[in-house]
Amino acid sequence: RVSSDGKPPKFQPPPKPVIIDRKTQKEERRFLSPEFIPPRGRTDPLKYYIERKDMIQRRKVFNIPEFYVGHVLAVTTADPYASDKSKRFVGICIQRGGKGLGATFVLRNVIEDQGVEICYELYSPRIQAIEVLKLEKRLDENLMYLRDALPEYSTFDVNMKPVPRMDHEEIPVNKLQVRMKPKPWSKRWERPKYNIKGIKFELPEHKMKAAQKWSQPWLEFDMLREYDTSKIEEKIRKELNEELEK
Amino acid sequence: MRLSVAAAISHGRVYRRLGLSPRSRLDLLRNLVTALVRHERIETPWARADEMRGYAERLIDYAKRGDKDERAMRMADFWLTEKDLIHKLFKVLAPRFQPHPGSYTRLLQIPNRDGLDRAKMAVIELKGNALPPLVRPRRDSDKTLLNQLLKGYRQDAQRAAAT
Repeated sequence: RVSSDGKPPKFQPPPKPVIIDRKTQKEERRFLSPEFIPPRGRTDPLKYYIERKDMIQRRKVFNIPEFYVGHVLAVTTADPYASDKSKRFVGICIQRGGKGLGATFVLRNVIEDQGVEICYELYSPRIQAIEVLKLEKRLDENLMYLRDALPEYSTFDVNMKPVPRMDHEEIPVNKLQVRMKPKPWSKRWERPKYNIKGIKFELPEHKMKAAQKWSQPWLEFDMLREYDTSKIEEKIRKELNEELEK
Repeated sequence: MRLSVAAAISHGRVYRRLGLSPRSRLDLLRNLVTALVRHERIETPWARADEMRGYAERLIDYAKRGDKDERAMRMADFWLTEKDLIHKLFKVLAPRFQPHPGSYTRLLQIPNRDGLDRAKMAVIELKGNALPPLVRPRRDSDKTLLNQLLKGYRQDAQRAAAT
């Protein structure tokens, strides 16, 4: 090619390829932590709006990972009486409760044959780190029945290494059916009110049938009890994404 | 330390207690919803009509999803005891209310019942029905002072515009 001055042509580097990371983008959009969704009630939405602003502020400073009930987490909290001034606890998340800033999650583990459950507040400033060690969902939203299950189902190694996550897309569902200690249990888990799918009931047939007496089949058709959160969730998700990108 | 709430306090409870049990309450409301869909205007005690209103409107919202929807069909099957009304719900009522986003019913109070209980009665009807209207909108009479003055003003403005 002939240039204007007779010198060799200036090197034009090839245009950089534009990488659109669709996988991480999708992950941000799909998950909305349940404590953001306001409950049905007569409280002023202003309260939830202010709480959400504070929650977003905290999330900008401290990373709260996406986790569900059934994940194994390690939480480091600040403790003035410990030698390192911090305390680490590993456990399986059995329930996530509360809305707004008071959102909590309960971690359970069996340490030296003693079952221990600790309820942490997600937005407490004493929490220094939350690591997700094992990612798996279970069949139920509430694993309180692990208290009445054999202790092997609640023991997790304190020095467990985090299991590497394969896909950015799906979280595997563990269809484990847990075996229980002999009755009496803390709650009658066989009753349809709890709707538990993750227990292998070894009770006799007549007891299972007797438990069905407490079923309320009309509750499924009671339309006014349904709370449709899809539109609210969309709005809150948009708000969250906007705020976190700033 | 009192561990349970006293039975008489019902703060924040939205559902009225009708009939003999929760199952009976739903059956009562189901019969009323079926009657409303059949006759499009019924006269019942006010409390029952008020409870029923929410369920009727949600049923129409489900019907708007279309009859191919599995859940909508199950809901209609449960709530309408007379099965020919399922066809009426999906083919007549759903298209009628398609442009409206909500509020498909009208609830109006009636003088108390004639029997011994003197119950507070109400009429609940689906909007857009073929029956004669319950409330005739009354126009203001032409003979009031304000209306006469306004009429005069309008006539003056017309005369001024004409010239």
